[in-house]
Formats: sequence, C-alpha cells, structure tokens
Amino acid sequence: MLWLHLHFPHLLLDHIRRSGENVAALVIVEGSGQKVIQACPAARDLGVKAGMRLKTAVSLVPDLGIVRADQPQEARILEDQALWMYRYAAHIVLVPPNGLLAEIGSLQRLYGGLPAAWRTIEEVLHERQLTAWMGIGHTPLAAGLIARNSMGECTSDTAQILQTLGRLPLQAAEFDARTSTRLKRLGLSTLGEVFGLPPAEMARRLSPETLATIQKIQGSRADPQAPWQPPHHFRQQADFVQDIEHSQGLFFPLHRMLSELENDLCWRQQDTDCLLLVLQHRHGEPTCLRIRTSGPEHRAEAFLSLISLRFEQQPLKAPVASLRLTVKRFLGREVPGGQDLLGENQDLNEAWHTLMSRLQARLGDNALKQLAPKDDHRPERAWSTSDVRRSNRATITTACQLPRRPLWLLQGPQPLTESPKAWFTGPERISGGWWDGQRVHRDYYIAQLNSGQLAWVFRDMREGWFIHGWFG
Amino acid sequence: MSELLHTLIQDARVWQGHKHNKTTQPAEPTGYQALDNQLGGLGWPRGALSECLMDAPGIGELTLLVPLMQRLSQDGKTVFWLNPPYTPYAPALARECINLDQVIMIHTDDKDDFLWTLENCLRSPVTGLVIAWPGKLAAREVRRLQLAAEAGSNVCVLFRERHYVKQNSPAALRLELEPDHQQGLKVNMVKRRGSWPGQRCSLAIAHRASLSHHEAPRVVQGPWPEAAR
Repeated sequence: MLWLHLHFPHLLLDHIRRSGENVAALVIVEGSGQKVIQACPAARDLGVKAGMRLKTAVSLVPDLGIVRADQPQEARILEDQALWMYRYAAHIVLVPPNGLLAEIGSLQRLYGGLPAAWRTIEEVLHERQLTAWMGIGHTPLAAGLIARNSMGECTSDTAQILQTLGRLPLQAAEFDARTSTRLKRLGLSTLGEVFGLPPAEMARRLSPETLATIQKIQGSRADPQAPWQPPHHFRQQADFVQDIEHSQGLFFPLHRMLSELENDLCWRQQDTDCLLLVLQHRHGEPTCLRIRTSGPEHRAEAFLSLISLRFEQQPLKAPVASLRLTVKRFLGREVPGGQDLLGENQDLNEAWHTLMSRLQARLGDNALKQLAPKDDHRPERAWSTSDVRRSNRATITTACQLPRRPLWLLQGPQPLTESPKAWFTGPERISGGWWDGQRVHRDYYIAQLNSGQLAWVFRDMREGWFIHGWFG
Repeated sequence: MSELLHTLIQDARVWQGHKHNKTTQPAEPTGYQALDNQLGGLGWPRGALSECLMDAPGIGELTLLVPLMQRLSQDGKTVFWLNPPYTPYAPALARECINLDQVIMIHTDDKDDFLWTLENCLRSPVTGLVIAWPGKLAAREVRRLQLAAEAGSNVCVLFRERHYVKQNSPAALRLELEPDHQQGLKVNMVKRRGSWPGQRCSLAIAHRASLSHHEAPRVVQGPWPEAAR
C-alpha cells in the first residue's frame, strides 16, 4: 500500500480567500485573539510572521483582515476538501486538524502511473487555489511526516522513503517532549539513527508506545485506517472577513458554491429541487431561505436567477457574516431526449419548470394553484386546490356524468337582494354533510337577474335566498 | 386640390378603408362562427392583447373562451387565470372537457407582481392562454403588456370594466360584452386590427346553463309564490 498525505499549511486562509473578498492581507489569530497563528503570503511580505503578537501585526499592516481560528469550522473545511478528493481517490482518511490521507497505490493503474496521479492532484490543488504539501509514504505515518516537513517526492520505492525519513531531525519527528529529550540524551539526532536501534532495547529503555510508533512509521506493525465516507448531502459554506451588507455582494461566493453544487450533482448523476440557504448574521437569528424549483434542476445559473429573484423580494435584514448552502434532497436524473405521450419534448418541459419556479420564487409558494374536482355533493366542497405540478396523464373525460354547474363559484353565498327576472330550471335539491357537521340542505335554481346575469341561486332551510354562482 | 389628393394616394400615404387587405396576423379561432366572421375569419389574435369590457359577471364571458380553453388545454398548452374575481369552478370546467392539469390559478398581491407575472407568462412558450382581471391599469401599463404579448405568441384576454370603452387602449382587439335577450351574449367590436370597428354580433350561449329557449322553463314549482313576495 502506498499513501498520499496532503498537508494544508493554511487551510482557513485559503478558504476565506476563496469566498471572494479583496482583503489585502489576512491573518488567523488564535482563540484568545492575542497571537497570529497563520499569515497569508501578502501579510508575510509586509513583515507579519506566525507567532507574532496581534498588536505588532496590526501596527505593521493597519488594514489587516483578522480571522479567529475556530475548531469546528476547521473540521468542516477539512471535510470539504475530502469531498472533492473523493472524486479522485476512494480510500480517504481525515487527519485533523489539517491533513488528508489517501490510499494512492491502487490508483496507479487508473491514472497511468504514480507521476500522473501526482500531477492530477497537483492540478486540482492549483485549480482550487489551495496550498498543500504532498508526501508519499508506504505507511500513513511516514506519508504524514514527509508531507508536514514538505520533503515530498514522487516515488514508490520504500528504501528511498525510509532514506528520506532517516534524514529527518528528531525535532521534526513529532515525538512527545519526554521521549524526544531521552532520545537526545542517548546521543541520537536523526530519525534514521532511531530506526537503527534494536526493537527490544527500545521497548525496554523508552516505552512500548514509542516502539509502536516507530514500527508504524517503518511499516513493520499494522496501522489500520478507517475510510471516510462522503455524506449523503451537499453542504458548502462561505465565511467573510467583512460583513456583506448588500445582496449583490453575495453573488460572487454564491456563484462559486452553486458551480460546486452543479459539479457535485453531475458526479452523483442526480438533480435537486430544493436548496436551503442560511445567512448568518453577527447578531440575531440567521435568515433561512428555501429556494424551490418546480422540477429537477442542476444548473447553477437556474439556481442563481431564482436566488436573485428572491433577494429582490426580500432584502437582507442585517449584514451577512457567512453563507451556507445545503442540499439534502436528491432526485434521479431524467433521461434526456425522447418525446412523451403528449408529444412534448424536453424543451417545453424545461420551459414549464423554469416558468413555475420563477413565479413561485417571486410570488411565494401559495400563489399558484391547480384546481381539481372532488367527490362531494356540496358545491363548496366539490372542488379542491393543490400545488402546481407537472402531470402528463391523459384527461379522464367523465364530462357527461357531471351535473350542470356554473363556471364561477362565489367565495361564499351572497344574499339575493332582488327578485329575478326569469326562472329557468329547478329545484335541484342538494342535501348532505350530516356526516361531518357541515350540514347543507338547499334547493338550487337557475335564474336570470334584471341585469341580465345568469345566476345559480338557492333557498336554504331558513327560507333565505342566496346567489352561489354565476353562469359566466 | 385633386392633384394633391392624387399624389397622396399615389404615395400610399393615406390609408383607404375600402380596399383594405386581409390581415394575416396569427390567430386562434374562437369556436363561434358568428364571432370568427366578424373577426375577419380569424379569431383571437395571438401575440397581442385582447380586452373584454363588461359590467357584471354571469353574462357568458367565460363561455366565450371555453372552446379556446378546451382546445389549448387538450393540446398540452397551459391556461393561466390571473387574479380571477371568483373561484373558477372545477367541476364545471371538467364538464366542459377542459384539462384541469393545464389550468393554473395565480393570485398576486400588488400591481407590480401582477404585471411581472403576466409578462412572464406571456413570454413563455408553454403558455397557451392567459386570462387576467387587472383592475385599474394605466395606459402605459397596457402598452407594456401589449409589448410583452408581442414577444410571445399566446392569446391574452384581459377582463375590464365597461367604462374603459371610452378610454383608448393599445390592445389589438377590444370587445364590449352585453347580455342579450334569451341569455345570449351581444359582442360589440370596439377596436380590431385591420378593419373598422362597430360590427356587432350576437352569440347564442344559453347552453351554458342547459337552457334552450324553445322549451318552456323547467321550474317544477315556483320557488316563491307571488303572494309571499
């Protein structure tokens, strides 16, 4: 087995830089906000160094962008990296806080040799504007050590890997402080010299744990790694150094996130119809926006135009500190091409979904309704509304069995205030509803009012006269 | 003077009513032969606004559109009802063989949303017919809708109050609807493209309430005796 370790020296910085802000220099400060932990190249050029006090850094660079390190956030960002890595390698292990381990030995044939696989990963890293040090080792620990000390070479030769490791000074070999001191007192200075010690001696003189670590590095002891499984949902987050006050400013990161989503959906060969957008504010409750499309969709532009419609309707209530996009619902992708029963092609279907999504995004989900008849004798209950959905089933013509009814039904019966000019048919007695307490007992007539309107009128049990519909 | 007139006619700078050409604008037959004849044998213009102006509902205004709705909905075109004043009654529509899967009702809260929705519906290729009740519209807004209608090739019928007859409008077809005797519908052409206004016709649509005027009214018993009134 051969392992590739990716070490991200400043992952948080890369992540924030990708959110698309033009902050000149960026630093990450530790939790308490006193010390600089990481500095971006621009900041380093201006003299800011890791380990410097924040006050000193700010006096060097007055418009310094400051980000506080946050452990859950870092874990999340690392997982984001695993997500794209999963497209290139199957067996991935997360090495918190900033490492990623991938089994690369089995990929050689797929990519056509180790150098090709190495190059592929390098290109992807470059495309994603990530800084990473790569290292290959025959064991997970060896790969990690090589990567973290940026001594990575593209080789699968165990002897060469061990030789590289052997040159590593003891300080860089990541032993705990006590072991490190004891090894130094033994007069050893490089890892290679430690490798040379007899195992029994080492276990007795140092500790069995140290021996286990050494053996795991060398590969003479098993070091099983549980593979990481990609989650069954899509999740992306953009964090901003400076709060974004106008929705226009959100479009750049949104565009990137939606393209990621499009890629992800392409990989899954799936579509979605529901996005959840959570806007975090510095103070107060986060804003949740649910973006729905009326049909399966995967294109970033379609989502973006719906989101922009939504922002037009609903301006930001507070500046946005971070933006999270989640997709949990995946739908199977339809086979393109071909004609359906009604002879519609894919284009019309798509146009229909686009129109409905646009209307729903602007008017709200409840503004659009479809009508359907319902089995009930009572006129006000003989119809129902439902949400809009595309159905291509053929019409069921039960027309002749339905009784004659007016095309307009009033929202509720209106009192009849005048004596009609002419009476036509009637009475038609409709009586029912004893089973659910909505009792109806009416005699319906068709009558013409003096204005020439043809009305559907009824007399109820209390001898009152009402108009219930118009023959429009 | 006659020389001047002659020049004007020669240059075709004066439109002459008596030798107008048949318009070739795209149209959908209304389903009523008498009305089609009045509309130059064509019907509802496509890609243009039509206005129906009337006083009160229940005179047969929807029945006028039923044949068109039937045909479009069965062809898989969508029929939009935008801000209808009452509930379109689903059992009655189903009885008329209108495919209810293709009928979509939209309610908008304000006029901006209304215009935006109407424009979007008109521009879409899936739309067959848009029926809208706009309420009050400025001439500028009607013009905007007319332009949107021209962008698509759908039939758009606006129902407006009758007093707008006096106001001019950029709509391509304007019909004034009045109840006729025997439950018919009198259609008065206020404006149409390529011809003179002022034609009238009367449509017998008493069938909308299963009435035919040859029969006596089928009221079994007078609903209220005269004495009770």
